[in-house]
Amino acid sequence: MSKITKSSTAEYFAKNLQQVGFSSPLKAVLTTLKEAVDNSLDACESAGILPDLLVEISKVGAGSTKNTDLIRIVVEDNGPGIEGEDLAKVYGEYLASSKFGRGQCSRGQQGIGISAATTWAQMTNARGVSVISKTKKMRKAISAQVDVDIKSNTGVLKNKETLDWDREHGTRVEFVLDGRIQLNGDGGLLTYIEGTILVNPHMTITYKLTDGDFITVTRVSTDVPRVPEASLPHPHTFKLGEFITHSTLFGKTTLSKFLKTGFSRISDQSISDFVKKGLPKGLLEKPLTALSEEDFKKVFQAVQNTDLMAPSTKSVLTVGEEALSKSITRLGEIDFFAVVTRKPTICDFKPVVVEVALARFKDRNQQNDSPVTLLRFANRVPLQFDKSGCAITWAIESVNWKAYGLGQPKDSLPLGPYIFAVSIVSPFIKFKNASKETIDASEELVAEIRLALIQAGQKLSRHIKKEVKEADLERKLAHIEQFGPILVEGLARIIKAPEARKKKAEEGLKKLLGRDSEAAIADLEAAESKLLEQKKREKKKGIDHGDEDEVDVISSEDLVEEASAPQGTKKTTTKKTVTTKKTTGKKS
Amino acid sequence: MGKLLSIRELKIDIPKEARILADKMLKDLESSKRPVLEAVKTSLDNSLYNSKVGYLTPGDKVVRTELNVSSVQKLARVVFVLEILLNNLEKGAVNTKRELYYMCKGLIKGNPRLKPLDFDDQPESDAIIDFIGDMLEVYREELNCFANDRGGQTYSQQLIVTETLADGDKAVVDLSTLGTSPFQPKNKPQSLKLRAKKKIDFCLIVESEGTANTLVTMGFTKRNNCIVMGAQGVPSNGVRGWSKLIQDELDVPMYFFGDLDAYTLQNIYRTLKAGSAASLIRNADFSAPNVKFLGVLPEDVKKYDLPHYKVKESDPAEARALKKAKDALENDPFFLDKKNKNLADILRWLIKEKVRCEQQSFFSVDPNDPIKTEKLILEKIKRGSYV
Repeated sequence: MSKITKSSTAEYFAKNLQQVGFSSPLKAVLTTLKEAVDNSLDACESAGILPDLLVEISKVGAGSTKNTDLIRIVVEDNGPGIEGEDLAKVYGEYLASSKFGRGQCSRGQQGIGISAATTWAQMTNARGVSVISKTKKMRKAISAQVDVDIKSNTGVLKNKETLDWDREHGTRVEFVLDGRIQLNGDGGLLTYIEGTILVNPHMTITYKLTDGDFITVTRVSTDVPRVPEASLPHPHTFKLGEFITHSTLFGKTTLSKFLKTGFSRISDQSISDFVKKGLPKGLLEKPLTALSEEDFKKVFQAVQNTDLMAPSTKSVLTVGEEALSKSITRLGEIDFFAVVTRKPTICDFKPVVVEVALARFKDRNQQNDSPVTLLRFANRVPLQFDKSGCAITWAIESVNWKAYGLGQPKDSLPLGPYIFAVSIVSPFIKFKNASKETIDASEELVAEIRLALIQAGQKLSRHIKKEVKEADLERKLAHIEQFGPILVEGLARIIKAPEARKKKAEEGLKKLLGRDSEAAIADLEAAESKLLEQKKREKKKGIDHGDEDEVDVISSEDLVEEASAPQGTKKTTTKKTVTTKKTTGKKS
Repeated sequence: MGKLLSIRELKIDIPKEARILADKMLKDLESSKRPVLEAVKTSLDNSLYNSKVGYLTPGDKVVRTELNVSSVQKLARVVFVLEILLNNLEKGAVNTKRELYYMCKGLIKGNPRLKPLDFDDQPESDAIIDFIGDMLEVYREELNCFANDRGGQTYSQQLIVTETLADGDKAVVDLSTLGTSPFQPKNKPQSLKLRAKKKIDFCLIVESEGTANTLVTMGFTKRNNCIVMGAQGVPSNGVRGWSKLIQDELDVPMYFFGDLDAYTLQNIYRTLKAGSAASLIRNADFSAPNVKFLGVLPEDVKKYDLPHYKVKESDPAEARALKKAKDALENDPFFLDKKNKNLADILRWLIKEKVRCEQQSFFSVDPNDPIKTEKLILEKIKRGSYV
């Protein structure tokens, strides 16, 4: 018989880095950046600090493995800093986390990511991570290199020294590792940074990617998101095994006390309901340690069969419509946008909140017939791979976007120069894999995302409709100018009519078609006033489209006058419609 | 230039009618009234069928095009093309639809003011020409506009065709001198006269021109006193007019031989026999109601054990054809007529069995006999195995 050995957690992950986002050189760079930024933002948030981040990614040479470059990734923050004795744990030990299983909506959850990044650097470049950190209490900053001791799953500090750092507190990490850089597209670094900017309106970030310049995007909100207190788990989310394991944390407490204090939504009333559903009353006051597996099973089944109040939704947090509406303008010049923050709700017995931001951009070089850019977020972390399996993608594809004025091939993402950002926040997001790339699609969750999308779609359609009506009017006015004279001249030639008849007919034609354009103007006015109403409603909620006062409804007389002006006025007409209403901001 | 032979006794003077129409439009405009153009509605829901008449005729529905911002483009195009056609009529010039398309393009290119009229492709200008025909209730041939010629390749040892040329001269073609080359009736069958050297027993119209040629190459027309014609798919105006001419001038039994599938029955055979909904006003002179459906019949599949196969419903084209067949059984007056019950039954059979059998399957009945197809066709005619 072969010898059975026990390996450390670090050994397991070192051999299976692909499971946690290091499956290719491209992903290695993105995941490292992601883990470092997540940590910085989480740390700032928990200390109530408005984050100022610096990100720098550059090629510094050739990689040691085939087809890779040696990449340097620096992430610096103004967070609370890390005490010297914790450095090794944070960066060099797996599953050493302040957040594991707490039931909070923080970005990081288990304490795997950053240690995995250290491992990758160590495996490909024989050096772990270089860290500089300073807390408020420290007079000087600590600088050190952290490696993972894979055999024992512990972090090892090397070259530790102190130095002067011109800031009160903060952390700077530097990884040098084998990888490859991709800036744009689904798995691109820039896509990640843009996504992070969008859902963190309170963050200021300065970044430099490869040979580009330093770019600074400043915060549009000064509220540090308050991550709500963790909530107790709801019993209906448990499986029998978990239930028994959970009980071991409670030692000799009685069963009834365990149920009431170990879970949310269990009251004295619920306990008597459990008894009605078959929980043997005698077990209630027994200590947990005296319960047999058989007993646990009976208790568990009774709990599952009893209706309980849905869990509280207090444990989720949102970016908010106002902040989203400001933040989205940081991604580029916008034609128009729609944001929706749903009320927190329960899906599969877990509190969830869905937020959606849809926007059309002027200058993102996106084709009208290519799919929209999709940004997915889970607990404010961008998800960038395997979108086809994700609950968010499914929900978008299930909505009929044609009804809102967007093109959409059957069962696919809609088309156009839009960004569709969908964010899910929940203390218990179910991912399909350990590298947090896709959200598992349960029916309830997809339905909830769908509702948010439909609401946002309706708002967006007001903008699009107005634009369609504008184009319609413009087309109609152009038609009158172009075809009217040709029609009359043709008729006059066929019957050899005198000039006077031709003139009279031309006047008559203008009158007729003027009436038609009045109808088109009325349509446009109706669409404009609907949009205006929506904007006013949104303004009360703090969402500013930045142009309300300028939406003056153009008077129909003006346009008819223009319409009946002689040939050659087309350009001025067009210009006027655009300049009177800065809201349009559309293609000319 | 001599006058072209006309298709029918035309009751109206086209240029005069067109001028009255233009004058009315201009008058309406002068008094700020919206001019309206009316044309026969050319669709199945405005098609009538009477088996005694034998082809689809128009009902009383019309399409009204009233001038407004959306239709002004169409009306301007109609007037533009009408002017060209009237000029052609006046000068006695003739053009195909395709030629007219390029003529329009040329005129538009040469005059920047006309640019908004420009046609993106030929179907756009074709639609305008058809609309003018439907509006004046005249054939487009009567507007001196002819479709491109396609199909109608004809073989016979007995047939003699006399063509009246534009200058009044006559050309005589003896089809027996052409070998295995076909005679092409072109798109003006009305200018032809037919005569048989010897009694012609029947005329066989084959869906596939290739198969028609194969039969002739193997000696079909040598052994039989007949006419063999290739339809080349959905029959063009030329093929339809030519078939009508053979029917009227020679009075011989006519048979159609094609695939056993819904498309052939509805689109090819029905158009040949009774015309189409799109050409309601022309069907009288562009259909040959005497043509019988020789096959492939469902009974042939069984009797000769013909190779056939299942229709793939996942194929969008096939699925569409089946859906159209169901639709035809409910809405097509031709298939609804009692006289055509046997044809409708074939459609029903096709929908139920979801199979198809090609005309070429006859070649597989006896691989050792190269003229087996001919034998089967003759046997079927003799037995009266047609619908």
